[in-house]
Amino acid sequence: MNLRFIDWIWHIRGSVPLAAGQSSEQAFERLEPLFRERDTHHVRNSDTLTFEKSNQAPQDKMSIFDGGELRIEQAPSGGVLRYDLTSKILLFCFLAPFLFLSFGQLAVAVGVIDKPTAEEKAEAKKKEAEEEKRAAERKLHPIDQFLGAPEPEKPKTEAEKKKEEAEAKAKGEDEEEDEGPSPTPAYVFAGIFAALYLVGRVLEDRLVKRLFARRLQGT
Amino acid sequence: MDGVRVGNRIIGADSPVTVGWENIGRVQGGPVKQAFFTWFQPTVLFALIAFWYYAPDSIAKASTAIMLGVGFRLFLLALEWVNPRYDSWKLTWKELVTDLFFVGLGYTILRLVDGYIGDGVMVEAVQNSFDWDKFAWFTGLPLLFQAFLISFIFDFGQYWMHRGMHNWHPLWLTHAPHHYITQLNINKGAVGNPVELFLIGLGIGGFFDFLPRAALLAGALGLAVGSYQHINVRFNSPRWWRFLFNTTEHHSVHHSRDFQGSRSNYSGTWIIIDRMFGTCVDGEAELLGMEGGRRMTIRETLVYPFTEGWKTFKERFGRDRYGKGLMDGPTAEPAE
Repeated sequence: MNLRFIDWIWHIRGSVPLAAGQSSEQAFERLEPLFRERDTHHVRNSDTLTFEKSNQAPQDKMSIFDGGELRIEQAPSGGVLRYDLTSKILLFCFLAPFLFLSFGQLAVAVGVIDKPTAEEKAEAKKKEAEEEKRAAERKLHPIDQFLGAPEPEKPKTEAEKKKEEAEAKAKGEDEEEDEGPSPTPAYVFAGIFAALYLVGRVLEDRLVKRLFARRLQGT
Repeated sequence: MDGVRVGNRIIGADSPVTVGWENIGRVQGGPVKQAFFTWFQPTVLFALIAFWYYAPDSIAKASTAIMLGVGFRLFLLALEWVNPRYDSWKLTWKELVTDLFFVGLGYTILRLVDGYIGDGVMVEAVQNSFDWDKFAWFTGLPLLFQAFLISFIFDFGQYWMHRGMHNWHPLWLTHAPHHYITQLNINKGAVGNPVELFLIGLGIGGFFDFLPRAALLAGALGLAVGSYQHINVRFNSPRWWRFLFNTTEHHSVHHSRDFQGSRSNYSGTWIIIDRMFGTCVDGEAELLGMEGGRRMTIRETLVYPFTEGWKTFKERFGRDRYGKGLMDGPTAEPAE
């Protein structure tokens, strides 16, 4: 498969025009401080600069990139810097939604495989009844009564429980649905990472372009 | 570097640490900004306590607490932009992705695992095997006292677990990745190896019976105090606040590159626990991390305790080619 069709996921490519009359040498002189960071190695030839980074500190202006090539092309109309940068974190963020979707599916699967048996259900009901009995005995401390805190919630009567069940059935809610771990947080995080990828792909593209442009202009 | 003597220790000999409240930075700007960042923390704390104390039962539920927690954290993220403590700690897109990945693990896969082997399961197993009931006397206490006890007992356990992690190599291996963060932001508390996140979450609260409202009040304490542990916001916290509660200043000393500084301020919410045991250092630091500030990758964070554990095991019990046992110490840089 030709990776060119999909490598935009983790590649950021672009170009920035050089200032009028700026030579390759002068342009690289201005860009080079960006590559004098911890665990960053770069090699400079006459018109190309290649670099590799690892363990990038958040304070590093190019921390999202792990490697890449910067090339300067001189033309009669003026020079231009072309760059092709790779980013593992962009790829990671692109894949993260799939990971969280799989966590969601795992939660669903656990709910199916580890369904409580009739015995366990009876046990849980018994415990719930005991808990309710204990809850009914709870009273607020006189200080809290004096300060006006609401009394603890009393357990529901049988009639109230039946009424709630009937309402839930009327709404089409299935009692079984509540069983097992919920996949919802995993789906929410899958959505968050999908949105983060879109934001990051656009934002980091612009930020690095601005960074190079400012360096080249010396501002 | 000379460092400053605090008790029996020299703090700041390896890396800069500002010691003493009188020496740390103050909020800069106009009177409104100064007033806001002076009164924000206590106002939110008392407002949350009042809310949970008086909210009717129909509102005083865990779902409300979750919504409040998410909303509050989003607001704190915005505050980090408005009034950062250090510009060098500004949240970048990459840091946000990394932090949220670990937050996401906590809400999904770790929660799933916790349902089978977490402290709730352990406590229930102990109660069943000894035929114990919950300690019901707890519910008869005033609500705020119950909330204080829930919070304090959990934090007390967390203090010793955390201190253990800095003093015993196998535990340190689980905690070390968290110390490779080089800046504090609101979600940085979640960044670490999942084994550590599991261990630090263990509590004995399940042994006690308490009113649900007290648990919500204790949660409010965690939200309105514990949230500031990892945050890049400059506050003028009141003197009494700094005496009682852990602050981002305290916690930055704990995360500093200074060895003795990192062996201070272990508690999560109640810094008075550190004061009780002589491990409190009042101050702050900007340069954080390990190995001179090497940032650990997500992959390394996930595998570090196992790879380093295996290395240590081989060095301790392995034999070199002359058949001689190697008894050298561990290779991981110790902050233990």
